[in-house]
Amino acid sequence: MRSLLALTALSSYALAQTQADFYVTEKIPLPAGEVMELGSIALMPDEKIAVSTRRGDVWICSGAYADDLTKVTWQKFAGGLHEPLGMFYKDGALYLTQRPEFSRLQDTDGNGAADVFETINSDWGINGDYHEYAFGTSPDKNGDVWITLCLTGSGTAKSDWRGWTLRITPEGKMIPTCSGIRSPGGIGFNAEGDAFYTDNQGLWNGSSSLKWLKPGSFQGNPSGNVYHTLANLPAPPVPQDKSRVLAEHLKHPDYIPPAIVLPHTRVGQSPTAIEPDLSGGKFGPWANQVYIGEQTHSQVQRAYLEKVNGIYQGAVFHFLEGYDCGIIPAKLDNKKGILFAGGSNRGWASRGTKTFTFERTKWTGKTPFEILTMNAKPDGFTLTFTEPVEAASASNPASYSMNAWTYILQSGYGSPEVDQATQTIKSATVSADGKSVRLVIDGLVRGHVHHLKAPGVKSASGSGLWHKEAFYTLNEIPSK
Amino acid sequence: MFLKRLCPILITGIFASPLFAQDGGQLYGLYCSACHGADGKGATGGAFPPLAGSEWIAGNPKRTIAIALLGLHGPVEVSGKTYNLEMPPQGAVLANDQLAAILNYVHTSWGNTGEKVSTELVASVRNELKDRTTHWTAAELQKLYPLDIKKTALSDLISRVYPGSWNAQTDFSKLESKNVEEEHNGLLDITISGIKDNFAVVWDGQFTAPEDGTYFFDIDADDCARLLIDGKNIAEIVSAGPMNGSRLKSAKISLTKGAHPFRLEYWEYGNQEGLTLRWKKAGDFKWNHLTKSAKPEAPSIPIQPTGGKTAIYRNFIHGTSPRAIGFGFPGGLNLAYSADHLAPELLWTGAFMDGSLHWVDRGIGSQRPAGDFVISLGKERFLPAEARFKGYSLDSLGNPTFMVGMGDQILKDSWEPGENNTFIRTLTLTGGTANLEIPTGATAPIVSQTSVRLSPDKPVSVVYTLSEQ
Repeated sequence: MRSLLALTALSSYALAQTQADFYVTEKIPLPAGEVMELGSIALMPDEKIAVSTRRGDVWICSGAYADDLTKVTWQKFAGGLHEPLGMFYKDGALYLTQRPEFSRLQDTDGNGAADVFETINSDWGINGDYHEYAFGTSPDKNGDVWITLCLTGSGTAKSDWRGWTLRITPEGKMIPTCSGIRSPGGIGFNAEGDAFYTDNQGLWNGSSSLKWLKPGSFQGNPSGNVYHTLANLPAPPVPQDKSRVLAEHLKHPDYIPPAIVLPHTRVGQSPTAIEPDLSGGKFGPWANQVYIGEQTHSQVQRAYLEKVNGIYQGAVFHFLEGYDCGIIPAKLDNKKGILFAGGSNRGWASRGTKTFTFERTKWTGKTPFEILTMNAKPDGFTLTFTEPVEAASASNPASYSMNAWTYILQSGYGSPEVDQATQTIKSATVSADGKSVRLVIDGLVRGHVHHLKAPGVKSASGSGLWHKEAFYTLNEIPSK
Repeated sequence: MFLKRLCPILITGIFASPLFAQDGGQLYGLYCSACHGADGKGATGGAFPPLAGSEWIAGNPKRTIAIALLGLHGPVEVSGKTYNLEMPPQGAVLANDQLAAILNYVHTSWGNTGEKVSTELVASVRNELKDRTTHWTAAELQKLYPLDIKKTALSDLISRVYPGSWNAQTDFSKLESKNVEEEHNGLLDITISGIKDNFAVVWDGQFTAPEDGTYFFDIDADDCARLLIDGKNIAEIVSAGPMNGSRLKSAKISLTKGAHPFRLEYWEYGNQEGLTLRWKKAGDFKWNHLTKSAKPEAPSIPIQPTGGKTAIYRNFIHGTSPRAIGFGFPGGLNLAYSADHLAPELLWTGAFMDGSLHWVDRGIGSQRPAGDFVISLGKERFLPAEARFKGYSLDSLGNPTFMVGMGDQILKDSWEPGENNTFIRTLTLTGGTANLEIPTGATAPIVSQTSVRLSPDKPVSVVYTLSEQ
């Protein structure tokens, strides 16, 4: 018996896939003596990278792409800014979303440091509350920058446009765009260029999630609704307390349900950056998927989005972990396939024990055996895999299991997982090329998070999945 | 949990290896540095208590032996910061000579000047404590092995407590105190009254000025307080109210080196209570506290001009609006501009800003200027509603020009230091045809005019003098 156990342990050890096989994360040396609690990252020409810190500095890094990271050099570009949490480079300037304003920083005398700090827009309110964060994007396809504003103290809306997402046009005009925001950790786009943000579990937010910022939409927390009057916009809906997201969405079509719920503690606790993979395969086979930073667990998740009946939904998978600190910004260089990530755990603890970090992750070129995509079907899901599956295990329904739950939509903080349901895997059919499996499932529940476990599935080469579970938010069940 | 799992492994390791002359540094690295840091500053950026400079090291060496043997549980204040963690006991893991080696290393490293610890002393403390099996609390240790009392500027301090209900100051000469105590720690502590509501405390003692010079005192109270030095009333809070900074009173006096009679009178009317008193010498960065505070202040993080250029601090600065932009100029002149009110709102001399409020933890609240002498130029917006903040530019020394857009005109507001504690402010209106009158926010002797009349493209300069009157 003992030797059998030893043998089993040995064989599973030999087949276990680990992150280091597929992705290599390296620490980028930071300027000596500086507190570099990263709040945003901007890619610049000539393989330079600008980073902003929570203390309000902007530094520019050279050498972060080189094999030898010991040669990295830093130049301070600006200081004394107000907690920038969004930055991009355009036409020789760095554009920053700071707590009080959206600004353009330029170095007009060419000495390497900014000397013009132009305020492009500051039409939203701040009142001195530390929680009134502002996260901003790079420009969208129209050139607009999206800025999402945290509630006052993450619970009320004591300053203009708190709890809203705004767009700033290239002319500097502010367009209030979405209401119902609680406490964002990041904002960005998917591969199609639609805007999303991450909202943290709390009031009117049963679990953290990735939310679609459809223009005109309401995102669930009514605290900031009052500001619609400032721009003659229609009043956003007020959800009923202790209801469900689906029920309120059916009552109020403008209430767009979270595209992908990141079940609290199962898939992180504080989601942050949103970064689409436009690398066309340079960072692994996840082209057009979305990466989500995670502050508490010091991770990066992977999300697969699809649109069903006009609403975004999809699956989240565990992906990268072991960063030195909580991840706040992340930026993928799509030409090189390098993910730059940084962060801080000041005020909010993280699994990574360093107080701040700046790291880069590269794909080794070796593809893990993973569920690549997960699409909803009227009677189940279709999974595709990164390599052909072994027919025997992948076609056995017992290799899979599924259960589902949702959350209470309530004015209180967070929610337990409720309305539990267990699904039955009726059949699993492997495609001719072996790269996809059609699951027919009894008992799908619209509006629920469906937790798929696939511990029994093996690849044709005999390997188990690197990550054996997925969480699919089933806002809509397709009719075909 | 992790430590619990670790312990059996450690025990095995020790019994398996022969004992020889112990290397304290090496043992420290093995057993202590994971939490306390190889540099003694506390691991992961100070999430664990530091040993370097810790007041728990100095004095009676039995204290650290006792902690190492039995561990420590619950809140403990070290170097002004409170930690609430669990130190696992090491007595079952480490032999007497190993503990002695580690403690000698800790007592003599990183600038510590603790006493020498012999193997025999560890053995004797182990024997004294042989019946104890539980972790220490900080309070128990304080009682058994008191920490050295730190001296303050107050000496011969005596407190008198008066129960009673006053919602304004009263005359103590007509009252009889409930009790009189000597306060050897030189700190004012209102909890010595043993009363929650409706009482007064009077402290008398000597304040020793370290040298001749100008001294600043800040006092804040819930409810009333009066500070007397050399028998003179120098700062008072006369009516009942909260202690939230809005009623804080600052005083500035000249003192000669040596002892001066000190008296503080305090009244608590009801509900919340509190008292803070701090002092510093003109030019010092750090305040010295004379009240025992429930929440010790974070260590200062000075933000200062470097390389002959200004330092900038955009954050919540007390006395101006949330969109504050602070500039610290070389030579000790400072300015805070409000991008909400589109005007300068504070000028001060001395130190610029202290990052320890906003750059620690979540950064809650608004930070006061770190300098000595703060002038408020007002808190109101005088420009029309359509005026918009357009940002600022810096010259080669980092001197700012703030820009405001108003229709077809731009108002430029430039600041640079002049000689002898003066600021030179230059206002320029560009574009358009309209004239504009701008208040300077101050009067003589700070500025010679209370407002400036601007016509397009004709710059006007104003000099602000910040010398102490």
